[in-house]
Amino acid sequence: MTDARWVGRSYETAPFEVTEQSIRDYMAAVGDVQEDGELIAPPTYAMVYGFDAYWQLWTDQEVALDVAHLVHGEQRFTFQRPVRAGDRIRTTGRLTAIGTRGDMDLVSFELTARDEQDRPVSDGTALFIIRKP
Amino acid sequence: MKTMTTLDFDDVREGQALPSLTKHITVEQIRQYAEASGDRNPIHLDDSFARSAGLPGVIAHGMLTMAFANQMVTDWLGDRSLLKRLQGRFAGMVVPGDDVTCSGTVASKDDATRRLVINLVVTNQRGEKVFNKGVAEAEFPPQRSTTHAA
Repeated sequence: MTDARWVGRSYETAPFEVTEQSIRDYMAAVGDVQEDGELIAPPTYAMVYGFDAYWQLWTDQEVALDVAHLVHGEQRFTFQRPVRAGDRIRTTGRLTAIGTRGDMDLVSFELTARDEQDRPVSDGTALFIIRKP
Repeated sequence: MKTMTTLDFDDVREGQALPSLTKHITVEQIRQYAEASGDRNPIHLDDSFARSAGLPGVIAHGMLTMAFANQMVTDWLGDRSLLKRLQGRFAGMVVPGDDVTCSGTVASKDDATRRLVINLVVTNQRGEKVFNKGVAEAEFPPQRSTTHAA
Protein backbone atom coordinates (compact mmCIF):
# COMPACT_ATOMS: atom_id res chain seq x y z
CA MET A 1 0.00 0.00 0.00
CA THR A 2 1.33 3.41 -0.98
CA ASP A 3 1.66 5.55 2.13
CA ALA A 4 -0.95 8.33 2.21
CA ARG A 5 1.32 10.61 4.20
CA TRP A 6 3.02 11.67 0.94
CA VAL A 7 -0.12 13.44 -0.27
CA GLY A 8 0.80 17.07 -0.91
CA ARG A 9 4.35 16.36 -2.04
CA SER A 10 5.23 18.31 -5.19
CA TYR A 11 7.81 18.12 -7.96
CA GLU A 12 8.95 20.83 -10.32
CA THR A 13 10.69 20.42 -13.66
CA ALA A 14 13.55 22.57 -14.86
CA PRO A 15 12.42 24.87 -17.70
CA PHE A 16 11.81 22.61 -20.72
CA GLU A 17 13.11 24.17 -23.92
CA VAL A 18 10.71 23.32 -26.70
CA THR A 19 12.60 22.77 -29.94
CA GLU A 20 11.33 22.21 -33.45
CA GLN A 21 13.14 18.84 -33.42
CA SER A 22 11.41 17.75 -30.21
CA ILE A 23 7.98 18.66 -31.63
CA ARG A 24 8.73 16.87 -34.92
CA ASP A 25 10.04 13.77 -33.09
CA TYR A 26 6.83 13.63 -31.08
CA MET A 27 4.65 14.14 -34.16
CA ALA A 28 6.51 11.36 -35.99
CA ALA A 29 6.25 9.02 -33.00
CA VAL A 30 2.47 9.35 -32.74
CA GLY A 31 1.96 9.67 -36.51
CA ASP A 32 0.32 13.11 -36.27
CA VAL A 33 2.32 14.89 -38.95
CA GLN A 34 0.00 17.34 -40.68
CA GLU A 35 0.99 20.95 -40.50
CA ASP A 36 -0.05 24.21 -42.04
CA GLY A 37 2.52 26.95 -41.91
CA GLU A 38 3.27 27.53 -38.26
CA LEU A 39 4.47 24.49 -36.30
CA ILE A 40 2.19 24.00 -33.29
CA ALA A 41 2.78 21.00 -31.03
CA PRO A 42 -0.05 18.48 -30.73
CA PRO A 43 -1.73 19.35 -27.40
CA THR A 44 -0.81 15.95 -25.86
CA TYR A 45 2.83 17.07 -26.23
CA ALA A 46 2.10 18.32 -22.67
CA MET A 47 3.26 14.85 -21.64
CA VAL A 48 6.69 15.60 -23.12
CA TYR A 49 7.40 19.00 -21.56
CA GLY A 50 5.90 17.82 -18.27
CA PHE A 51 7.44 14.36 -18.29
CA ASP A 52 10.14 15.07 -15.73
CA ALA A 53 7.49 15.84 -13.10
CA TYR A 54 6.00 12.37 -13.65
CA TRP A 55 9.46 10.85 -13.62
CA GLN A 56 10.35 12.49 -10.30
CA LEU A 57 7.16 11.07 -8.76
CA TRP A 58 7.76 7.57 -10.16
CA THR A 59 11.36 7.50 -8.93
CA ASP A 60 10.82 9.16 -5.54
CA GLN A 61 12.45 6.64 -3.23
CA GLU A 62 10.41 7.75 -0.21
CA VAL A 63 7.01 7.52 -1.89
CA ALA A 64 8.28 4.26 -3.43
CA LEU A 65 5.51 3.66 -5.96
CA ASP A 66 5.60 0.13 -7.39
CA VAL A 67 6.29 1.38 -10.92
CA ALA A 68 6.48 -2.12 -12.44
CA HIS A 69 2.79 -2.54 -11.57
CA LEU A 70 1.75 1.03 -12.34
CA VAL A 71 -0.58 1.74 -15.26
CA HIS A 72 -2.15 4.96 -16.41
CA GLY A 73 -5.85 4.91 -15.46
CA GLU A 74 -7.18 8.31 -16.50
CA GLN A 75 -5.86 11.57 -17.86
CA ARG A 76 -7.32 15.06 -18.19
CA PHE A 77 -5.80 18.11 -19.80
CA THR A 78 -6.87 21.69 -20.25
CA PHE A 79 -4.88 23.80 -22.68
CA GLN A 80 -4.58 27.54 -22.18
CA ARG A 81 -2.40 28.29 -25.15
CA PRO A 82 -0.66 26.54 -28.06
CA VAL A 83 2.97 25.43 -27.67
CA ARG A 84 5.64 26.32 -30.23
CA ALA A 85 9.39 25.95 -30.63
CA GLY A 86 11.18 28.49 -28.44
CA ASP A 87 8.79 28.14 -25.49
CA ARG A 88 10.37 27.48 -22.10
CA ILE A 89 7.88 25.64 -19.93
CA ARG A 90 8.06 24.68 -16.25
CA THR A 91 5.68 22.03 -14.94
CA THR A 92 4.80 21.49 -11.31
CA GLY A 93 3.19 18.19 -10.29
CA ARG A 94 1.50 17.59 -6.98
CA LEU A 95 0.52 14.28 -5.44
CA THR A 96 -3.09 15.04 -4.48
CA ALA A 97 -4.61 11.73 -3.37
CA ILE A 98 -3.69 8.16 -2.54
CA GLY A 99 -6.49 5.64 -2.15
CA THR A 100 -7.46 2.05 -2.80
CA ARG A 101 -10.06 0.34 -4.97
CA GLY A 102 -10.31 -3.38 -4.39
CA ASP A 103 -6.76 -4.68 -4.46
CA MET A 104 -5.40 -1.67 -6.35
CA ASP A 105 -3.84 1.58 -5.17
CA LEU A 106 -5.00 4.77 -6.88
CA VAL A 107 -2.66 7.73 -7.07
CA SER A 108 -3.78 11.18 -8.27
CA PHE A 109 -1.26 13.64 -9.65
CA GLU A 110 -2.15 17.21 -10.68
CA LEU A 111 0.06 19.27 -12.92
CA THR A 112 0.27 22.89 -13.96
CA ALA A 113 2.56 24.14 -16.71
CA ARG A 114 3.59 27.77 -17.09
CA ASP A 115 5.74 29.68 -19.53
CA GLU A 116 8.68 32.03 -18.90
CA GLN A 117 6.33 34.95 -18.27
CA ASP A 118 4.51 32.75 -15.70
CA ARG A 119 1.45 32.57 -17.94
CA PRO A 120 -0.54 29.31 -17.85
CA VAL A 121 0.15 26.84 -20.67
CA SER A 122 -1.77 23.74 -19.60
CA ASP A 123 -3.11 21.82 -16.61
CA GLY A 124 -3.23 18.07 -16.25
CA THR A 125 -4.61 15.45 -13.92
CA ALA A 126 -3.37 11.87 -14.03
CA LEU A 127 -4.79 8.91 -12.19
CA PHE A 128 -2.39 6.00 -11.82
CA ILE A 129 -3.45 2.50 -10.88
CA ILE A 130 -1.00 0.25 -9.08
CA ARG A 131 -1.92 -3.41 -9.36
CA LYS A 132 -0.90 -5.70 -6.55
CA PRO A 133 2.01 -7.97 -7.55
CA MET B 1 2.18 16.49 -47.42
CA LYS B 2 -1.43 17.07 -46.45
CA THR B 3 -2.00 20.39 -44.81
CA MET B 4 -4.67 21.42 -42.37
CA THR B 5 -7.76 23.42 -43.27
CA THR B 6 -9.66 24.99 -40.40
CA LEU B 7 -13.18 23.75 -39.87
CA ASP B 8 -16.02 26.24 -40.22
CA PHE B 9 -17.87 26.39 -36.89
CA ASP B 10 -21.13 27.15 -38.70
CA ASP B 11 -20.94 23.84 -40.57
CA VAL B 12 -20.90 21.75 -37.37
CA ARG B 13 -24.07 20.00 -36.22
CA GLU B 14 -24.81 18.34 -32.89
CA GLY B 15 -24.77 14.57 -33.29
CA GLN B 16 -22.34 14.76 -36.19
CA ALA B 17 -19.71 12.01 -36.32
CA LEU B 18 -16.07 12.94 -36.81
CA PRO B 19 -14.06 11.05 -39.44
CA SER B 20 -12.64 8.04 -37.60
CA LEU B 21 -8.92 7.36 -37.34
CA THR B 22 -7.37 3.86 -37.24
CA LYS B 23 -3.80 3.10 -36.20
CA HIS B 24 -1.87 -0.16 -36.33
CA ILE B 25 0.31 -0.59 -33.23
CA THR B 26 3.84 -1.90 -33.64
CA VAL B 27 6.75 -2.55 -31.28
CA GLU B 28 8.65 0.02 -33.33
CA GLN B 29 6.05 2.74 -32.77
CA ILE B 30 6.01 2.06 -29.01
CA ARG B 31 9.82 2.38 -28.96
CA GLN B 32 9.66 5.57 -30.98
CA TYR B 33 7.05 6.99 -28.58
CA ALA B 34 9.22 6.04 -25.59
CA GLU B 35 12.14 7.94 -27.09
CA ALA B 36 10.12 11.01 -28.10
CA SER B 37 8.26 11.26 -24.78
CA GLY B 38 11.05 10.19 -22.43
CA ASP B 39 8.83 7.48 -20.90
CA ARG B 40 11.13 4.44 -21.08
CA ASN B 41 9.32 2.38 -18.44
CA PRO B 42 10.37 -1.21 -19.29
CA ILE B 43 6.74 -2.42 -19.35
CA HIS B 44 6.66 -0.64 -22.75
CA LEU B 45 10.03 -1.87 -24.02
CA ASP B 46 11.08 -5.18 -22.50
CA ASP B 47 8.87 -8.24 -23.10
CA SER B 48 10.33 -10.39 -20.34
CA PHE B 49 10.12 -7.52 -17.82
CA ALA B 50 6.52 -6.88 -18.82
CA ARG B 51 5.65 -10.56 -18.36
CA SER B 52 7.31 -10.59 -14.94
CA ALA B 53 5.05 -7.65 -14.04
CA GLY B 54 2.01 -9.78 -14.90
CA LEU B 55 1.35 -8.34 -18.35
CA PRO B 56 0.97 -10.34 -21.58
CA GLY B 57 4.13 -8.66 -22.92
CA VAL B 58 4.99 -5.05 -23.72
CA ILE B 59 2.01 -2.70 -23.76
CA ALA B 60 1.62 0.65 -25.48
CA HIS B 61 1.72 3.82 -23.42
CA GLY B 62 -1.79 5.01 -22.57
CA MET B 63 -0.69 8.44 -23.71
CA LEU B 64 -0.01 7.07 -27.21
CA THR B 65 -3.68 6.08 -27.45
CA MET B 66 -4.69 9.51 -26.13
CA ALA B 67 -2.43 11.11 -28.75
CA PHE B 68 -4.41 9.25 -31.45
CA ALA B 69 -7.68 10.58 -30.01
CA ASN B 70 -6.09 14.05 -29.96
CA GLN B 71 -5.09 13.66 -33.62
CA MET B 72 -8.56 12.57 -34.72
CA VAL B 73 -10.02 15.72 -33.17
CA THR B 74 -7.37 18.19 -34.37
CA ASP B 75 -7.29 16.69 -37.90
CA TRP B 76 -11.01 17.44 -38.02
CA LEU B 77 -10.69 20.91 -36.46
CA GLY B 78 -7.82 21.70 -38.80
CA ASP B 79 -6.09 23.79 -36.13
CA ARG B 80 -4.35 22.36 -33.06
CA SER B 81 -4.74 25.62 -31.15
CA LEU B 82 -8.55 25.25 -31.02
CA LEU B 83 -8.41 22.26 -28.64
CA LYS B 84 -8.95 23.44 -25.05
CA ARG B 85 -9.70 20.26 -23.15
CA LEU B 86 -9.05 16.53 -23.58
CA GLN B 87 -9.74 13.77 -21.11
CA GLY B 88 -10.57 10.11 -20.86
CA ARG B 89 -10.06 6.78 -19.18
CA PHE B 90 -7.62 4.07 -20.27
CA ALA B 91 -10.06 1.18 -20.22
CA GLY B 92 -7.95 -1.60 -21.69
CA MET B 93 -4.44 -2.55 -22.69
CA VAL B 94 -3.13 -1.88 -26.19
CA VAL B 95 -0.46 -4.30 -27.43
CA PRO B 96 1.64 -4.62 -30.59
CA GLY B 97 -0.45 -5.96 -33.47
CA ASP B 98 -3.61 -4.19 -32.33
CA ASP B 99 -5.57 -1.96 -34.65
CA VAL B 100 -7.19 0.82 -32.67
CA THR B 101 -9.92 3.05 -34.04
CA CYS B 102 -10.79 6.47 -32.63
CA SER B 103 -14.38 7.66 -33.00
CA GLY B 104 -16.00 10.91 -31.98
CA THR B 105 -19.39 12.59 -31.98
CA VAL B 106 -20.32 16.22 -31.47
CA ALA B 107 -22.21 16.17 -28.15
CA SER B 108 -22.99 19.86 -27.99
CA LYS B 109 -22.44 23.10 -29.85
CA ASP B 110 -22.77 26.50 -28.17
CA ASP B 111 -23.17 29.34 -30.64
CA ALA B 112 -22.68 32.03 -27.97
CA THR B 113 -19.32 30.78 -26.72
CA ARG B 114 -18.38 29.10 -30.03
CA ARG B 115 -17.50 25.97 -28.12
CA LEU B 116 -17.94 22.33 -29.16
CA VAL B 117 -17.97 19.32 -26.85
CA ILE B 118 -17.02 16.04 -28.52
CA ASN B 119 -17.44 12.58 -27.02
CA LEU B 120 -14.63 10.16 -27.81
CA VAL B 121 -13.99 6.44 -27.67
CA VAL B 122 -11.15 4.24 -28.91
CA THR B 123 -11.80 0.57 -29.63
CA ASN B 124 -9.54 -2.28 -30.71
CA GLN B 125 -10.06 -4.77 -33.55
CA ARG B 126 -12.31 -6.90 -31.31
CA GLY B 127 -14.55 -3.92 -30.56
CA GLU B 128 -13.29 -3.67 -26.99
CA LYS B 129 -13.00 -0.15 -25.61
CA VAL B 130 -9.40 0.74 -24.79
CA PHE B 131 -10.15 4.44 -24.09
CA ASN B 132 -13.58 5.54 -22.93
CA LYS B 133 -15.39 8.42 -21.23
CA GLY B 134 -13.38 10.54 -23.64
CA VAL B 135 -14.28 14.21 -23.96
CA ALA B 136 -12.68 16.93 -26.05
CA GLU B 137 -13.66 20.57 -26.05
CA ALA B 138 -12.81 23.06 -28.76
CA GLU B 139 -13.22 26.81 -28.79
CA PHE B 140 -13.38 28.82 -31.99
CA PRO B 141 -12.25 32.46 -32.07
CA PRO B 142 -14.96 35.13 -31.97
CA GLN B 143 -16.58 35.67 -35.31
CA ARG B 144 -15.50 38.83 -37.08
CA SER B 145 -18.59 41.01 -36.86
CA THR B 146 -20.05 41.99 -40.17
CA THR B 147 -21.14 45.51 -39.38
CA HIS B 148 -23.91 47.18 -41.25
CA ALA B 149 -24.35 50.91 -41.25
CA ALA B 150 -27.62 51.72 -39.54
